[in-house]
Amino acid sequence: PKLLLSTLLIPSSTHTHATSSSSPHAPPIVIPILDFDLLSVCLMTMEDPDIKKCRLSSVTVDDVIEQVMPYITDPKDRDSASLVCRRWFEIDSETREHVTMALCYTSTPDRLSRRFPNLRSIKLKGKPRAAMFNLIPENWGGFVTPWVNEVASSLPRLKSVHFRRMIVSDLDLDVLAKARLDELEALKLDKCSGFSTDGLFSIVKHCRKMKTLLMEESSFVEKDGNWLHELALHNTSLEVLNFYMTEFAKINAKDLESIARNCRSLVSVKIGDFEMLELVGFFKAATNLEEFCGGSFNEEIGRPEKYMNLTFPPKLCCLGLSYMGPNEMPILFPFAAQIRKLDLIYALLATEDHCTLIQKCPNLEVLETRNVIGDRGLEVLGQCCKKLKRLRIERGEDEQGMEDEEGLVSQRGLVALAQGCQELEYMAVYVSDITNESLESIGTYLKNLCDFRLVLLDQEERITDLPLDNGVRSLLIGCKKLRRFAFYLRQGGLTDVGLSYIGQYSPNVRWMLLGYVGESDEGLMEFSRGCPKLQKLEMRGCCFSERAIAAAVLKIPSLRYLWVQGYRASTTGQDLRLMSRPYWNIELIPARKVPEVNQLGEVREMEHPAHILAYYSLAGERTDCPPTVKVLREA
Amino acid sequence: MSKVTTELDFFGLEKKQTNNAPNKPKFKKLLDRRRSFREIQGAISKMDPEIIKSLLATGANPSETSTRSLSVPSTPKEDHQRILISPVHAPLTRPSTELVSGTVPMTIFYNGTVSVFQVSPNKAEDIMKVAMETSPKKDKSMEKHLSVIPPTTLRTKLFGQNIDGDLPIARRKSLQRFLEKRKER
Repeated sequence: PKLLLSTLLIPSSTHTHATSSSSPHAPPIVIPILDFDLLSVCLMTMEDPDIKKCRLSSVTVDDVIEQVMPYITDPKDRDSASLVCRRWFEIDSETREHVTMALCYTSTPDRLSRRFPNLRSIKLKGKPRAAMFNLIPENWGGFVTPWVNEVASSLPRLKSVHFRRMIVSDLDLDVLAKARLDELEALKLDKCSGFSTDGLFSIVKHCRKMKTLLMEESSFVEKDGNWLHELALHNTSLEVLNFYMTEFAKINAKDLESIARNCRSLVSVKIGDFEMLELVGFFKAATNLEEFCGGSFNEEIGRPEKYMNLTFPPKLCCLGLSYMGPNEMPILFPFAAQIRKLDLIYALLATEDHCTLIQKCPNLEVLETRNVIGDRGLEVLGQCCKKLKRLRIERGEDEQGMEDEEGLVSQRGLVALAQGCQELEYMAVYVSDITNESLESIGTYLKNLCDFRLVLLDQEERITDLPLDNGVRSLLIGCKKLRRFAFYLRQGGLTDVGLSYIGQYSPNVRWMLLGYVGESDEGLMEFSRGCPKLQKLEMRGCCFSERAIAAAVLKIPSLRYLWVQGYRASTTGQDLRLMSRPYWNIELIPARKVPEVNQLGEVREMEHPAHILAYYSLAGERTDCPPTVKVLREA
Repeated sequence: MSKVTTELDFFGLEKKQTNNAPNKPKFKKLLDRRRSFREIQGAISKMDPEIIKSLLATGANPSETSTRSLSVPSTPKEDHQRILISPVHAPLTRPSTELVSGTVPMTIFYNGTVSVFQVSPNKAEDIMKVAMETSPKKDKSMEKHLSVIPPTTLRTKLFGQNIDGDLPIARRKSLQRFLEKRKER
């Protein structure tokens, strides 16, 4: 114990942990291991009266924990620390720098600011994840207004704001801008909607030390390009500029170029569709650029080499060029060996092109593409990209003739991938065919996998090997680090036994998306006996009854969020009340008919089955629901 | 108008089904009457708009009167599913359509649900042609694999969205937009 104590208190000349500029104290001590058990042992030792009498006796337990707490950044550890005693709770409250709220309706703005008055950074999420798939009404909720007002009034140290899938107005942006001014360093409007370029202008005008400005996939009204011009005029701190997957049309290339010239720390730029040839000046100026996504290629017959002279910044290693085809691909070859991240989701490459390009990128760590990569592309990946950590394979066009015939992923590709890329930590894939054996391979080889998502596409009538009971069991047993898991199949894809395996063999999984799994309520009940750490459950296309869902929820101890679409509703619609309990909000989005424009340009009414959304909340029932959302009130 | 009921063995299962075939239309009529109107409405709203458009946009042609029907077992649990189309009387209530003289009510049984349409015999033939087109291409393969799962291509072509609460796999917004933009280029 004495040895531990001295390690704790004696200043070390070599700081093994870099202190951030935001740390409240220049630390005289260094904690070699941020291990909570070690900490508690040290502090228990300090209670020993003999030790208190030594020359360090003027130091109290409280002093120690005040020094130590800022180094504890993991929210789970902070959660545990805050429960030790009142003093520790207070110190955690005073020193907590970041909070992520997985759902903004789980608490209230004033609770947040009262508990953590010195927050530097917040991340709030609003709409359910299904909103990214057009399943949630646009006006569902997740309004930032009350949060922005709280920031303005009660969070004086806030520097970084991240809103994800929320509704943001120009007024909200104006309030935020004027409240934080130059102190606001980061604003991320991530898949948000409801604002216009006026709001952006206000932010840029008042917050002139912005380092990160992100609007990826947000939808807004574009009135002009003044906000970017303002950024070009007055900002020299920008590091990250992201308006990827947005529809800005009034952007001026000259402004981009100015920003690149003025902001020497600019490392990441992601833009919408923009002719690549107009970005030549920008690329020349952005000498420290490491990441670029967006742009646009427009091939001209008679000028096939018009893009061949494009030069890129020397440190560029993360890239995603929209509409890049096989003719433009060679512009990457000169620096392909240094590419670490590649986004081909919005490229126009066939299977063969994928093979050609991937072969040249031995240092690839992150790849995102559509299933046009094919099994052959995955084989090449397995052979050439041994450092691959993250792979996302999205679903390409269903229509025949639009994608490469080879452009389908099956068990063949999965096995090659598993054997070849054993560093994989994240894997999301849309497959057209699957076998138990391929899932077993994943369990055998991908020991670092933390996040696995598989969707079985519905194009093929016959799947080689269903149900996937044994395969999924092997996968879950083998991938011990798995924390996020999605399994989206079809009728017959997984039996009740298979579903029970998922519950039984997922000791560390926090989030699950299950689609078309199981055969009956029995399966769900068995499943719910497992999942010891499951916090968030999403289900779609279930054969389960309302009653079974409610019963299952009550059996999963750590469950704090449930989303379901497609289930067997009860005749009264009241079976959900079986899961009524304090602090548990239950909401329904009843079945709707939504007019949608189909491929022929006609307006048709599409049926949207009902959703269930349930979550723990300290805020009570929602009071800001649109007509499409029904709160299941206490009976 | 004479009503001729012919059965086309869609999946090459005729040998097994012939005995049951003559009884089916009666049984199906009974089933049909029991179905609620609303379900039919719901079923109609799920039809592929292309099909509806081609069926109902033009007027009826009273010249031909024969209808053909395909015999299908309609219980979802069975592995093979086909479409039963038989003449049944039921009014169509879609506001955009009229009960045109010379049209024959056409009932489509699929996957345990029922839809009824007032169509001209010509259009009825068109529908059945479409249904047959979307059947598996090789009859030989069908004979070997009798436990085939109902073709999704058929499902989606005729019905757009699956009936019976089936949800099509939703696509990410960002990807949807990209694929649409790509088509326009």
